[in-house]
Amino acid sequence: MEPLLKVENLRIELKTRAGVAPVIDDLSFELGQGESISFVGESGCGKSMTALAIMGLLPEGIGRVASGRILFGGEDLTAASDRRLRDIRGNEISMIFQEPMTSLNPVYTVGEQIAEVLRAHQGLGQRAAWTMAAELLDAVRIPNPGRRIDDYPFQMSGGQRQRVMIAIALACKPKILIADEPTTALDVTVQAQIFDLLRDLRAQTGTSIIMITHDMGAVAEMAERMIVMYAGRKVEEGPVADVIAHARHPYTHGLISCVPHIVANLTEEREELTEVPGIVPGLGEFGQDMCLFSARCPRVTEKCRSARPPEAMLGGSQVSACWHAEEV
Amino acid sequence: MMPELLDVRNLSVRFPVGRKGTGWGQTSYLTAVDDISFTVRKGETLAIVGESGSGKTTAALAIAQLVAGETSGEVVLDGQDIMPAGRDQLRAMRRKVQVIFQDPYSSLNPRKRAEEIVREPLDNLTNKPAREKREIVDRLFQAVGLRPEQKRLFPHQFSGGQRQRIGIARALSTQPEVIICDEPVSALDVAVQAQILNLLRRLQSEFGLTYIFISHDLGVVQHMCDSVAVMYMGKIVEHADRLALFNNPQHPYTAALLSAVPSIDPTLRDHSKRILIPGDPPDPLNLPAGCRFVSRCPVAQLHCRELVPELTGNGTEHLTACHLVDADLVSPMQAVREAE
Ligand SMILES: Nc1ncnc2c1ncn2[C@@H]1O[C@H](COP(=O)(O)OP(=O)(O)OP(=O)(O)O)[C@@H](O)[C@H]1O
Ligand SMILES: Nc1ncnc2c1ncn2[C@@H]1O[C@H](COP(=O)(O)OP(=O)(O)OP(=O)(O)O)[C@@H](O)[C@H]1O
Ligand code: SF4
Ligand code: SF4
Ligand SMILES: [Mg+2]
Ligand SMILES: [Mg+2]
Repeated sequence: MEPLLKVENLRIELKTRAGVAPVIDDLSFELGQGESISFVGESGCGKSMTALAIMGLLPEGIGRVASGRILFGGEDLTAASDRRLRDIRGNEISMIFQEPMTSLNPVYTVGEQIAEVLRAHQGLGQRAAWTMAAELLDAVRIPNPGRRIDDYPFQMSGGQRQRVMIAIALACKPKILIADEPTTALDVTVQAQIFDLLRDLRAQTGTSIIMITHDMGAVAEMAERMIVMYAGRKVEEGPVADVIAHARHPYTHGLISCVPHIVANLTEEREELTEVPGIVPGLGEFGQDMCLFSARCPRVTEKCRSARPPEAMLGGSQVSACWHAEEV
Repeated sequence: MMPELLDVRNLSVRFPVGRKGTGWGQTSYLTAVDDISFTVRKGETLAIVGESGSGKTTAALAIAQLVAGETSGEVVLDGQDIMPAGRDQLRAMRRKVQVIFQDPYSSLNPRKRAEEIVREPLDNLTNKPAREKREIVDRLFQAVGLRPEQKRLFPHQFSGGQRQRIGIARALSTQPEVIICDEPVSALDVAVQAQILNLLRRLQSEFGLTYIFISHDLGVVQHMCDSVAVMYMGKIVEHADRLALFNNPQHPYTAALLSAVPSIDPTLRDHSKRILIPGDPPDPLNLPAGCRFVSRCPVAQLHCRELVPELTGNGTEHLTACHLVDADLVSPMQAVREAE
């Protein structure tokens, strides 16, 4: 069966003062119906840019699709009109942004904002939209929805605002929900509620989820498959459990082992954390014909600095873009 | 076991808040830290964890007398009460208690060179000759892993992790005994975070530093701490040593908090049933009369509404503020877990 979303050799270029840089550099991946995948990587690796490209929301005048295709149900979104993209954004692909306060309009009540989406995209009347808005608030577990529907965003806690954002994103029963760091600003107890909610909604509606995060724990909780990004490129992809058990790219391995993960039975023992030296390269260094991780990689050889490593399939389901993936 | 270096007794901080609708001339107060007491042993790390707004930063900064609010209580450092300090005492106290802030971007003066930033506490708080200060700065640059030629650069010429290193060097300059680390790695990428956490631990053993370490990342806390204080709405609800707290949490809030951490460890994900605590914390201006966790507590009893639970170990070292915890140290959440 055709996957719901198929991204083929996508290249996104950003115009910067220093010139044009490929912020997404030859990215391909698929998302199946009802599937949940995660993008991970350090800050500035192009995770949000990938999401914005799918949404047709690249920064205007700065970013553009240079080549490649984004096939959604067979239709190429990179060739779609603005009007068609607006239509898809409202109805079929929704996004939850990182900062819930800035993405809600402060001068309208949350009820008005949800109802507005329902009227515009579902064609509901005033009354029906209002009733449905209250039902959605209930679905995202806002206590006392009949009363809270009249609240303004500032009257809600961060977690409640994020739940309102999810309600808005779900208002049109999207086929794909993109969540860009949906819980970064929230307490872990609230994060657990949001994850629980997303899992339930996915089970009920069959919505596919793309979650962007820097937290491996969150990936393990939420996704079946993960894609690791580094400097605009996919460096590893595979089933979450397999990648965590045996990463086949040195960067993924570093990302997992440098974090002090919480463990079930804590002992006196405490080892030094593994360090990945250095930092992510700036946009100006993207796109070179070499492994962009080579400056930080413990396994680097001459070859790594002289050509971009191709994506290699390992063990049937894992992909790694490393010259020495077999040895990792 | 190390002797106690820091002894905080009955610390409270309240902020005057103007509230619409309150009468003319009336001030209401938000009590951000409400009568908390704890001790920290020399050379160890006390972690403070808890919900956003529970008072972690306020409590820690109150120790260094860096909060705007009205502070009361006693802070005893090495046997000396450092709270009612006069100007000279304040200078001496500042030398001994330093702070590393969360945001490596806004906490450094953008118009100063790295070496000036690191030297600043020496200029303000000591009367050391210029040469000695120069030597100290050189040593600190090396200790935190910055290169000598970077001394002349401005903050914007450094990466986030390097800026945090400058902040650490600055905090170390007066040879403090206590360093308050308020979310020192939260703004950093995981790879850089590991570098800074390793550095903090190395410096701790090298200089015998005592840390108060605030973080919302429980994996980081587990790695860094020797003991943990859990705060909820201005109160400490649990305080125990590292192993006791993580392996046998007593307070229902602590249990919920630990169970909520997403984990790559499948055993942790499968075996620990998640305890979801619905709702939000209460309004800090309108706190319940009894236990502050009562509105979200899965095992709350009727009397929890009226009766404030005291922080006590019932004769053990494991301190908890919950009516259902006694000297047996069987978590009240055990019953909930088994029932499911
Ligand atoms: N509007 C913009 N103009 C110029 N450069 C941009 C713009 N938005 C992003 N960039 C650059 O593009 C690169 C990728 O950014 P992106 O936001 O996709 O990163 P990310 O992986 O989502 O990072 P984070 O984890 O910090 O959100 C970065 O180097 C960033 O500085
Ligand atoms: N200067 C201030 N004036 C008034 N209220 C304040 C002030 N600083 C803090 N508060 C309030 O005191 C309470 C505790 O705040 P504090 O910053 O100590 O929390 P925290 O536990 O550090 O939270 P976070 O995890 O979000 O940093 C909050 O309700 C906060 O709004
Ligand atoms: S290609 Fe070379 S430098 Fe790049 S990750 Fe693999 S081993 Fe390291
Ligand atoms: S005192 Fe009561 S309400 Fe508070 S934590 Fe214990 S059981 Fe729950
Ligand atoms: Mg992003
Ligand atoms: Mg704080």
